[in-house]
Amino acid sequence: MAIIDDVKSIISKSLKIPAERLTADARLDELGAESLDVIEIIFALEEKFNISIPFKADESPQRSLAGKNGGDEIQISTVGALVDVVNKLVEAKVPR
Amino acid sequence: MNRVVVTGIGVVSPIGSTREKFWSGLIAARSGIGPISVASADRLTTRIAAQVLDFDPSQHFDPKRENLLDRFSQFAVVAARAAVRDAELDITEEMALQAATIVGNAAGGQNSVDESYFKLYGQNSPRVHPLTIPRWMINAAVSQVSMDLGIKGPTYTIASACASGTHAIGHAFQLVRTGQAPIALAGGTESCLTVGTIKCWEALRVLSADTCRPFSKTRSGLVLGEGAAMVVLETRERAVARGAPIYAELLGFGMSADAGDIIAIDSDGAARAMRAALVDAHVNPEDVDYVNAHGTGTALNDRSETVALRKAFGASAERLAVSSSKGVLGHGLGAAGAFEFAATALALHTQTIPPTANFEEVDPDCDLDFVPNVARNATIQNAMSSSFAFGGLNAVLVLSRA
Repeated sequence: MAIIDDVKSIISKSLKIPAERLTADARLDELGAESLDVIEIIFALEEKFNISIPFKADESPQRSLAGKNGGDEIQISTVGALVDVVNKLVEAKVPR
Repeated sequence: MNRVVVTGIGVVSPIGSTREKFWSGLIAARSGIGPISVASADRLTTRIAAQVLDFDPSQHFDPKRENLLDRFSQFAVVAARAAVRDAELDITEEMALQAATIVGNAAGGQNSVDESYFKLYGQNSPRVHPLTIPRWMINAAVSQVSMDLGIKGPTYTIASACASGTHAIGHAFQLVRTGQAPIALAGGTESCLTVGTIKCWEALRVLSADTCRPFSKTRSGLVLGEGAAMVVLETRERAVARGAPIYAELLGFGMSADAGDIIAIDSDGAARAMRAALVDAHVNPEDVDYVNAHGTGTALNDRSETVALRKAFGASAERLAVSSSKGVLGHGLGAAGAFEFAATALALHTQTIPPTANFEEVDPDCDLDFVPNVARNATIQNAMSSSFAFGGLNAVLVLSRA
């Protein structure tokens, strides 16, 4: 499916890691992502899919966010989790 | 008090990004002013600028680093590396802990600001690049220099508009002279040639439509420039002990504020800074041979600066050689003072006075020896480099032959 490939491509480009290594349970920090890498990946995903990912850089990626806006807490510690977040946000954009 | 010397010079300039190209361009009065090349230039009236056209950041930074640095920081880092190389300086861990880095800058990361604001206002984008702030902040350049070279002592930015580079070198001089830092890297950087910034300069109505002709009766305004210059300052003792190349000795630093007009130079304030620098240097006015002037090419600056030189030097103004480098370099704003300090040090080193480029006609209001268009061999024992900024902030350095 397209979204997972796009997410992997963005992470792969940012971290200079072949997309094949980006398995669903691969952790971003273990892949070498530093805080600036994470915000750049998030930015690239937002630009690509025209979504807004509720993530704050001064919170742990494992327990980030959204609770404040009344939404569910998101977590983006792994490639798979990030793909899920993007999937949900893209889905939410489609008019019912 | 330590004696302080200049042992390294690094530049990124509109006339080339090596010390050799910089100096040969200044001596030949080869102007770096040319047709402007910026995004959305059709929105501008201005058709000219002194741009750094041969700078390829990918030759100096890996993509990840490059992505973090606005062009004004890239210039500063490349000039700083060149200065350290030029000084044949090996920065040891012990030295790094005490060494100072001071960078002058006027406008911050305007390229990054412009890009983000264009997305926001021009393209109605809901988001801007996440690294806009770390690229934009006015201390980004000095922080990147410190990170790049591992310098961990006193490190900060000085913002005094067009005097920033001179103030930065002056403060670094004081740190080395008093022993607070054994060595200092100092200078200035600027890169604000974006359509937004240039439009604001146009609104102020001080830009020339054709070129920059300092002190010439036909002068028509200033021309915006960009680039960076960094120098290595260290104690004379250390420089001699390690057999370093010595370009010049830095003798004095003078500062003043006009407390008057936000734009117009005040000849009293400028003259006070010059006199303060001479006093600090223990040099008599009659013992100065060359002044690298601020000389922006605006009607008012050049006239008032002439008056200021007469006030500071009295009768000995008649025997002074005075030149402005802005006909060649344009106005480098935060980099200008550093460019001109480098030019003054090289004038002392080579015993050659760089000319005032684009000089066409004598102005009765600017009646000093402005070394028009042709470089001059001369015996230069002491020289001065002066900067008079918007906001009425003045900074002047006095150097001598090493």
